[in-house]
Amino acid sequence: MDIAFVIVNAVTVAAIYGLIAIAVSITWSSLGLINLAYGFIFSFAGYAAWLMAGRMPTNPYLIAGTGIIAGGIAGIIVCLLVFIPLHDKPAFTSRGMIATLAISLIGSQLFLMIFGPTSKSLPDLFGRWKVKLFDITLTADKIGIVVCSIAMLIGVVLWMRSSRRGLEIRAMMMNPHAASIVGIGIRRTGLYVMGLTGAMAGLASVLLSQTYYIAPFSGLTPLIKGVSIALCGGLGSVQGAVIAAILLGLVEALTNKFLGGQYVLMTQFLFIILVLVVRPRGISGLVDIAREQ
Amino acid sequence: MTEVLKIEGLSAGYGPLRVIHDLDLVIHPGERVGIVGLNGHGKTTLFYAIAGLTGWQRGSIVLNGKQIGRTRSQGPGRYTHQIVRQGLAIMPQGDEIFQGLTVEEHLDSGAFTPEAWRTRKERKERVLGIFAPLRKLMKTPVGRLSGGERRMVSIGRGLMTDAKLYLADEPTLGLAPKIGIAVMEALLAIDLKDSAMFIAEQNVALLEGKVDRIIGMHAGKLKGEASSSFRLSGSH
Repeated sequence: MDIAFVIVNAVTVAAIYGLIAIAVSITWSSLGLINLAYGFIFSFAGYAAWLMAGRMPTNPYLIAGTGIIAGGIAGIIVCLLVFIPLHDKPAFTSRGMIATLAISLIGSQLFLMIFGPTSKSLPDLFGRWKVKLFDITLTADKIGIVVCSIAMLIGVVLWMRSSRRGLEIRAMMMNPHAASIVGIGIRRTGLYVMGLTGAMAGLASVLLSQTYYIAPFSGLTPLIKGVSIALCGGLGSVQGAVIAAILLGLVEALTNKFLGGQYVLMTQFLFIILVLVVRPRGISGLVDIAREQ
Repeated sequence: MTEVLKIEGLSAGYGPLRVIHDLDLVIHPGERVGIVGLNGHGKTTLFYAIAGLTGWQRGSIVLNGKQIGRTRSQGPGRYTHQIVRQGLAIMPQGDEIFQGLTVEEHLDSGAFTPEAWRTRKERKERVLGIFAPLRKLMKTPVGRLSGGERRMVSIGRGLMTDAKLYLADEPTLGLAPKIGIAVMEALLAIDLKDSAMFIAEQNVALLEGKVDRIIGMHAGKLKGEASSSFRLSGSH
């Protein structure tokens, strides 16, 4: 156990939770919905990938692809159940939170009924090779997780920057009222956003299953960490979420090394509280341009 | 030829508050109509009612032969994007803009029909022909522009599609007089063809003699109408 190993672990953890945090952040800023249903989306994608792995255990692309697509479908289901009926009703923010949390909890129980309490595991998607870089041994799964997350993130950012749908989503993130004035349909954009963020959570689920198991309640920890990273980074900011994910990954890895795994949540939340005391809007205030007047 | 806009018996407001009272209005193709009135007498609410953005509304609004008015009790903005796609270009009051988007992205966001999106390059050129100062600022986030430049972006965005009806809500509000006059002149110089423009303004002097009709608005009702030969008494 040396400092390099700690950093490698931190980056891996940051990559997975960062994906969810960015998904939470994009959903909040474009739709005004704090989506707590990622626990459900996470398990849904995990089980779908597991079912596919049962049929095609040797094709990693197919397994990962199934997870991503299943995540997108789960995101659209949540959108149809929560966002479309509720978005123009009074107190949407709190109602949306309660409804999505309910979906997460009901979903977990459903998975428990259908698949039973035994955890499932996915085959190694990235093989079992190792690379020695200077003095650090990098295993295939760690490299694969980081590369896949970064590729997904870059893909999402490029799509948001270049495509017309991305322009609509960004417009809605900045000013929903003005967005409807220029003919952007809020419900249709909601479907795109939640499909996209669901797919990000789906990828995170497949990647995390390289380290942990898929279980009915396995989505809860990533949900809590994703939401808290998004809060810490400043809801609505992609850059803030990336920075917060790296910092919290570092806190997790350092706590694991010096204090022991049982203290991880404690130190993480202490760190988040500390950040929010100093910067109530989260880290993003440092980097976002032209955010407020 | 059908009217661009025909409003009959429109009432609208927010919650218990009724701002517009049984209002009738017709706007013909090619017409430029000014509406004047004090703050709080319903000019913006009338525009919002046309766009479906008020808290509630009832009465008939026909845009280009299609009924867009509904009796609604809640959900402001629920149908706005559909109404906009029927051919309504809204140049809203104040800064209804996207702070972090660049001027170019902003203009692109106005080109929401597939046809406008395909020809957006030419359309942007046309907007730059009207508002030349924007050319240097195409890559600048809108949040960093001055008030006058923002208003130009907001109006330019409305010009990116082939709308039937342009709604310009107080285009000179909060601008320095010189810039306000320039913005108004640009609006008045736009070739309408068979579409129409509806301009709300408090400064009557900016409109007199330059629009086809001026309508007064008071306490949620239309009061009096003057033709293009209208001159403000005592103005020089």
